[in-house]
Parts: sequence; C-alpha cells; structure tokens
Amino acid sequence: MRLLLVEDDAMIGEAVRTGLRQDGFTVDWVRDAEAGDAAVRAEAYAVLLLDLGLPRKSGLDWLRALRQGRNRIPVLILTARDSVADRVAGLDAGADDYLVKPFDLEELSARVRALLRRQAGRAEPELRYGNLVLDPATREATFNGEPISLSAREFALLAALLERPGGILSRAQLEQRLYGWGEEVESNAVEVHIHHLRKKLGTDFIRNVRGLGYTLSKTAS
Amino acid sequence: MSAAISYSIRGRLLVWLLCALVVAGLLIGYSAYHRSQEDLNELLDYQLKQLAFSLSRQSIGRAPMPRGLLPEPDFITQVWDKDGVLMFYSRPNLDIPMRPQPGFSNVDWNGQSWRVFTQLDGLRIIQVAHPLSLRQEMAADLTRRAVLPLAALLPLLAVGIWIIVGRALRPLYSMSAAVRARTPSALEPLPDRDLPDELVPLAGSLNDLLARLNRALEAQRQFVADAAHELRSPLTAVRLQLQLLKRAEDPGERVVALERLERGVERSTRLVQQLLTLARQEPEQLADTDALVDLARVAREVVMDFEPLAERAGLRLKLDADQSPKVVGDEDSLRILLGNLIDNAIRHTPDGGTITTRVAGGNADVMLEVEDTGPGIPADQRERVFDRFYRVPGHDGGEDGSGLGLAIVKRVVERHRGHIELNSGAGGTGLRVMIRLPAGKL
Repeated sequence: MRLLLVEDDAMIGEAVRTGLRQDGFTVDWVRDAEAGDAAVRAEAYAVLLLDLGLPRKSGLDWLRALRQGRNRIPVLILTARDSVADRVAGLDAGADDYLVKPFDLEELSARVRALLRRQAGRAEPELRYGNLVLDPATREATFNGEPISLSAREFALLAALLERPGGILSRAQLEQRLYGWGEEVESNAVEVHIHHLRKKLGTDFIRNVRGLGYTLSKTAS
Repeated sequence: MSAAISYSIRGRLLVWLLCALVVAGLLIGYSAYHRSQEDLNELLDYQLKQLAFSLSRQSIGRAPMPRGLLPEPDFITQVWDKDGVLMFYSRPNLDIPMRPQPGFSNVDWNGQSWRVFTQLDGLRIIQVAHPLSLRQEMAADLTRRAVLPLAALLPLLAVGIWIIVGRALRPLYSMSAAVRARTPSALEPLPDRDLPDELVPLAGSLNDLLARLNRALEAQRQFVADAAHELRSPLTAVRLQLQLLKRAEDPGERVVALERLERGVERSTRLVQQLLTLARQEPEQLADTDALVDLARVAREVVMDFEPLAERAGLRLKLDADQSPKVVGDEDSLRILLGNLIDNAIRHTPDGGTITTRVAGGNADVMLEVEDTGPGIPADQRERVFDRFYRVPGHDGGEDGSGLGLAIVKRVVERHRGHIELNSGAGGTGLRVMIRLPAGKL
C-alpha cells in the first residue's frame, strides 16, 4: 500500500517513513502542502497522512481544497493540536481520522490499516482468498493452514491483489504500489516477485491476463 | 482604639467634626455671655436710674421704708439729707459709703463689687446700688441656656456623622470588595460608573494596572502554550526514534536509529535551553548584573568557541574588531546574543561559506554585525523571524532550530536599549544582522 506523508518536521517525517516502511507500507514523504498537492495529482495513494502545521499553506486549508475537488483519498491527520475544537475542525474539514502527537508507530500503522479496511469495505482485519489468509497487522500469511514466509514486497503485492479479488492490476499499477519515490525498481521486479509467490502458492494461484496484468485465479477461491 | 481611629477616615472625620462643633459651641457661648452682659448692663443701669428717680419723688422720713416700696430685694437704697445725714436705708447692715459725684460708678466695698447710681436733687442725695456679681450670674445663666441644648445635641450629631460618613465611604468599600474579587484568571476592569469624583482617578489607575497585568499574564500564558506546543515536535521525534530503535533488528540499523535518537534528544535539549534563556531575558529582570562590557573581547571569545563547529561545517569564521568598544550591559546575555547569531549563520550557510563578525565603536553607538553567505531571509520575512517559534519556510538548516534564536536576540537587544536590523549581505546575498547598542560610559 502506498501512502503519502506530508510533514514539515524532518525528524518526525524521517521516523514515520522508516517506521511505516518497516510495517510494509510504501511511503512517499513531502514537506509542504504544495508538494503534497502535486503528489496527490500524480500518484494514486491509499492513504494521506497530513500534518496540520505546515509552512505557507496550512494542512487544513489544503484538505478542504482537496475535498472540494472531490478527492476521496482517506486522510489521517497527524498533529500536535489536541483540543477538542481542533479535532472537530480537522474531522469536519474532511479528515477520516485524527492522531495527536506524540503518537506510537504501532498505533499509526493500526489506524492506517483500519482506514484501508474501511476503504475496501471490509470489517474483518484479515484478507482471505481461498485457502490464503493474510494478516496485515502481523504481516503473517497462512496457506492451507500452514504459515508461509513472505518478503515485505511479496506480502504487499499479494495484499494488493487480495484487496479487490477478481480485479486485474497492471504491472505498472503493482510497481506503483510497491515502490516509493527514489526506490530503485528493476525492470522485471514485479515478475520476479510473482515468480517467487507462484513457487510458494502454486503456479495457478496468480494468473497472467495477457496484455492487462495479473489477477487471482478463480479456481484458487 | 486611638490607633484605629487615627487610621480610619470615618474615625478621623468624626473626631475632627466633633472638635469643630465643640469649638463653635464655646465661641457661641463666649459671644452670648458678652452680649447678654452688655444687654444686662444697659437694662439694669436703666432700672437703677428709674428706681432713684421714683425715690426722689417720694418724701422719706428717717425710718426705713416699708419693704413693699422696694422693687427688687437685691437693690440697696440709701438717702442722705443735704448735710450728709443718712435719712433712709433699705438694708440696715449694708451702708455703702456715699458717693459725692452724681451718676454711675463701680464701687468695691465689703468684699464685693457694686454698681452704684447717685442722684442729687438739691435736698437729698439718693443712692441706689446692687452687686455686680448678680449681673455676671444672670449673664452666665443666659449663656448656659443658649449653649446647653447644643451640648445635648453633640452625641446625636456624633451618631449622625458616623452614619453619614459611613454612607459616603460606601463606594470605597464596594471598590475594595471588587478588587478583592479579582483573580489572576479574571482581571476584568473595575466598574467605574457612579463613582464619586474622589475615587475616579483611583479606579482609573487600578484599571490601568489590571489591564497591564492582564496583558503580561496573557503573554505569559501564550508563551507557555506555545512552548508546550513546540515541545511536542521534538518529543514526538524522540518517541518515534526510540520505537524505531527498539524495532531495529541488526546492528547497522541500530546504529542509525541510535544516531537519530541522539539528534532528537539534542534538539529537545536545545529547545528547552533556549526557552529557559528566553525566560531569563524578561525585560523586568534588568540591571543588577549590568557592567561595562568589552564587546570586542566577548566577540573574540564567542567566535573562538564556534570555531570547531564551523570547521566541521566547512565554514570560515572571520572577526573584524580592532578597537575595544564598550557597552553597559549583561555580559552573559550579550554572549548568548552573539552565540545565537553565529549558530544561526553556521546552520544556514552552505559548505565553503564565510561568516564575518564585526564590532566597531562610535561616539554614541557600538555596531555589532554578523554576516553570512547563506541563503539570506526574504525581505517580507525579516520582521516575522523575530517572532517566537517562527521559522522561515523552506529553510532546511533551521529544521533542528528551536525557532527561538532570533526572538532571544531581539529580547537581549531591547534589554540593552539597542536596535536590530536584518539586511542582505554584501552583493545582495546572504544575511547581515546589524545591531546598534548605545556606547557604554560609567
């Protein structure tokens, strides 16, 4: 899952990005609302993590503008403003959730996962497809009741496919989900991950749709 | 009791008004006594004269006259024939010597003063007298009658004064109650409507004081709120960095996480230190450490302190101070001022740059300048950078800064009654901080 972090404080931005990456998210980080706006237009992000105290244009103003432009990206506000009035203002401006600094990385990840679940219309935390169960919180996977070990990117790729069972994701879409800015992407990276996954789950679990991309095989369900 | 009265307006007014009343009563009594004495003299002299005339029209034998003839028992009447033989007397044992001159006279006789009227009608000498003490008694009696009711009124007046003064002072009591009701969190102005003229200036000054107090407290509250808010960022960073450290699985990751944590702690420490410095530069805390400070020496020492930091950042520190201009001030504050300016310059100036510190003395002013070859501050931001916690947007070097450095600098300059100005450096790039301090003379 690819997230956009808008945070002007270098130390906090750095730490949040590192922590979320460790939790299996792909994170792009910008320092102000203008750069955030450009990023949101250029890429499809699963969640926007927004600091309010940004230089020049406030996070809240930008959020309002985003919502006015009918952008429906789930937004999680990260801020030091902790009064009830501030929370209400943030949520009413169009935020989906509100987290007050200082916060724990675990809580941040959990809230991001909750937003993703809500976005996908799921209530249960696990992702299931046939005999495959993925737990985004622990990043553990079981197949036919047996735990299988997956790399962070393999897990993310599988999770992306499981988010919308039956949907087809192109190679470019998958790359975009797995790799943030500045990350080196080998031209055949996605194929390599698919190859490894097929070895672990059986060759027919992920199907190639010629010219379109990848989807989960119906027989597997 | 006497202390209580002398320190109470009500008591004082009561005592002084009563004293004034007593004095007025005494004056009234004195003048009434004199007036009645004059009146009595006139009246009784007239009576003496009438009595003498009425006697002269009667034929008198040698024997005492029957009592009924005499109008007043206090009058002594004597009649002599032309040979000086006493023909008649009203009181046997009181024979006042005969006055040969006709008319009124005062006579001391037999231990008493007498008022005497003598009349010669050719055949006889008629003399009528009565004691002067009688007149005094009557005058005193009349005076008593005039003054006594006044004395009787005195307690009543005292009660009245006590009550009226108490009422008049009521606005004072209600004002003191209003002042007592003020608390640091509720410093609204005192009501100044319907106040007696005497209390209007007091209410005005108190309201002035309350307003100033309110502003100072509000500024303090704002500062604490700002500080608490600002402390959250470095604390958030530290907390996240600590969590990353706990998560770190291999030694390499751990080293990186530890370094970041250390930087976070340093940043928090610096912020707290700057907050303390700023709090210590409160304008009220002026003066007792003020002395004549050699600014060139301070500049040399501060520049030397920053030498290692500058070297690590690849910067050159230059000092231009050949004279020894002196200012009156607090050396520690001036050291902090210069330290903040040089620290700022080091953090904002890219590798290979130069930071120049200049100290120059004039007759009236001492100039202190710090110039760097960094990105400078856009003209429209130059006022705002003195605000607490304000950071110039997009300045990466200021990232770890507390946002307080220049606020502290400004506070120190103001404390020393100086002037600070930001400009671009030579050639239009970089930042040049110019401070003018009044030259010190002791």
